[in-house]
Amino acid sequence: MISIKNLTMRYNGGKPALDNINLDVEKGEFVFLVGPSGSGKSTLIKLLIRELIPTQGRITVAGHDIVNMPTRRVHLLRRNIGCVFQDFKLLPNKTAYENVSFALEVIGKSEQVIRTQVPEVLRLVGLDGKFDRYPNELSGGEQQRVSLARAFVNRPPLLLADEPTGNLDPAISAEIMSLLDKINKTGTTILMVTHDREMVNNLRRRVIALENGHLVRDQMRGVYGYED
Amino acid sequence: MRIKPLYFTREAIESMRRNFAMSSAAMSTAALSLFMVGAFILMFMILRSFAADTLSKLEIEVFLKDEAASAQVQAFQNEITSWQEVKSIKYVSKDEALARLKERLKDKPDILEALSGNPLPASIRIFTKEASFIEPTVAKINSYQALAEVVENPKTDIKYGAEFIDRLFSVFKVMGWIGFGAAFLLCFASVVLIINTIRLTILARSKEVSIMRLVGASMWFVRWPFLLEGMFQGLAGSVVAIGLLYFVKVWVLRKMTEIIPFLRITITTASFVQLVLGITFGGILIGAVGSAIALRRFLKV
Repeated sequence: MISIKNLTMRYNGGKPALDNINLDVEKGEFVFLVGPSGSGKSTLIKLLIRELIPTQGRITVAGHDIVNMPTRRVHLLRRNIGCVFQDFKLLPNKTAYENVSFALEVIGKSEQVIRTQVPEVLRLVGLDGKFDRYPNELSGGEQQRVSLARAFVNRPPLLLADEPTGNLDPAISAEIMSLLDKINKTGTTILMVTHDREMVNNLRRRVIALENGHLVRDQMRGVYGYED
Repeated sequence: MRIKPLYFTREAIESMRRNFAMSSAAMSTAALSLFMVGAFILMFMILRSFAADTLSKLEIEVFLKDEAASAQVQAFQNEITSWQEVKSIKYVSKDEALARLKERLKDKPDILEALSGNPLPASIRIFTKEASFIEPTVAKINSYQALAEVVENPKTDIKYGAEFIDRLFSVFKVMGWIGFGAAFLLCFASVVLIINTIRLTILARSKEVSIMRLVGASMWFVRWPFLLEGMFQGLAGSVVAIGLLYFVKVWVLRKMTEIIPFLRITITTASFVQLVLGITFGGILIGAVGSAIALRRFLKV
């Protein structure tokens, strides 16, 4: 699903944010990406959705060579990737339902598809009965569910989550985590950046650790491994 | 991807409603510049019509020398009449010329009394089919081989409105350049204003745009509403400009015919429709160019 070869990313010629990374993620895997702040985790996510172009190396995502991809075709890549962020990135003037349907509208899905898929995915994330709430009328956990629904409504083969539980209390985090697990069980590959040591230790999934731009650990059924 | 014109239009209109002040400013500048361009074109149409009317009244008058033999004069007349450019000619005898002068000077009998005999020459008045035939016809007269037999001095005795024509056209040229210069500057100003309007709209909606890009909207899907917005602003400007131009056209034509009743100035419906179409497309183009420039810098997401 993801294949990274000799990837180096340097902002404005300074010290590399990512230095010679090699990484393969298979279809259907669940991968935690851990590491201290400034280790290059977010840079890696941005490279995967081609918000950034690497200084060197090759990246293939869902069969797309995304380094040599022309900008006008980037949207085709992004339709294969769902994204969830710490700050949710919801539109404040749209309801939960509209936030999700917006994602389908802008990729040109028909009204009929939207009407069936949006309620389905909102129920899946447990927002039944809250379709017409605006983001400011929802709790943090509920907002993250909306954003998860938006990321997943198009059934992308890959889901990137950048600290999705960073703003949430432990109980809510566990619920979001179990949703991600559910989504992973449908065959969706998930790459999740997190600082939540307990979650990583409990779930025992593959763990990739970055430090100062170097890949320092890649462990199947790993643990968090930092004393922070 | 399927294009959704309705969706894009709704987005564009909604955005203009939200940025009403800025949109109106852009629209007014577009209206003003298009009106200026249109007004200059209209002025040209009026001047051209005026020139055509004036030139159609122009004639050539060839003054004959008194001692010219009547056979020579007749041959000269026959020659001129046979030319394609010539519509008609009129022979004015010495007596007729005097009668005409008396008629013109009937308020000043003292001048007439001072006249002894008839100093006026006979002449041939030549009317061409079109104003533009005047100069070639004069050239032909000058190259008539027996001209010396009938005309004393071709330089002074062949009269037509050459100087008048030349002056008229040089005035047109200068006015035209000034007009187009001003209109061009105004068009430039309205493009700049539309760029700024669209830029503000994009800034106001940058979060929405970045989410659109994130979930996989194509560049064109993001662009269309902004492009349409610019085009609507240009179009609205051109509608205002056309309305003003129509008013000006009607008013100016009425005033001019009031002041100079014998003038026949007309602007055909066909040429006004051409002007309307030109301004409409001009407006849309200004809007599209403005928003395209604004988008170029902001859509590098």
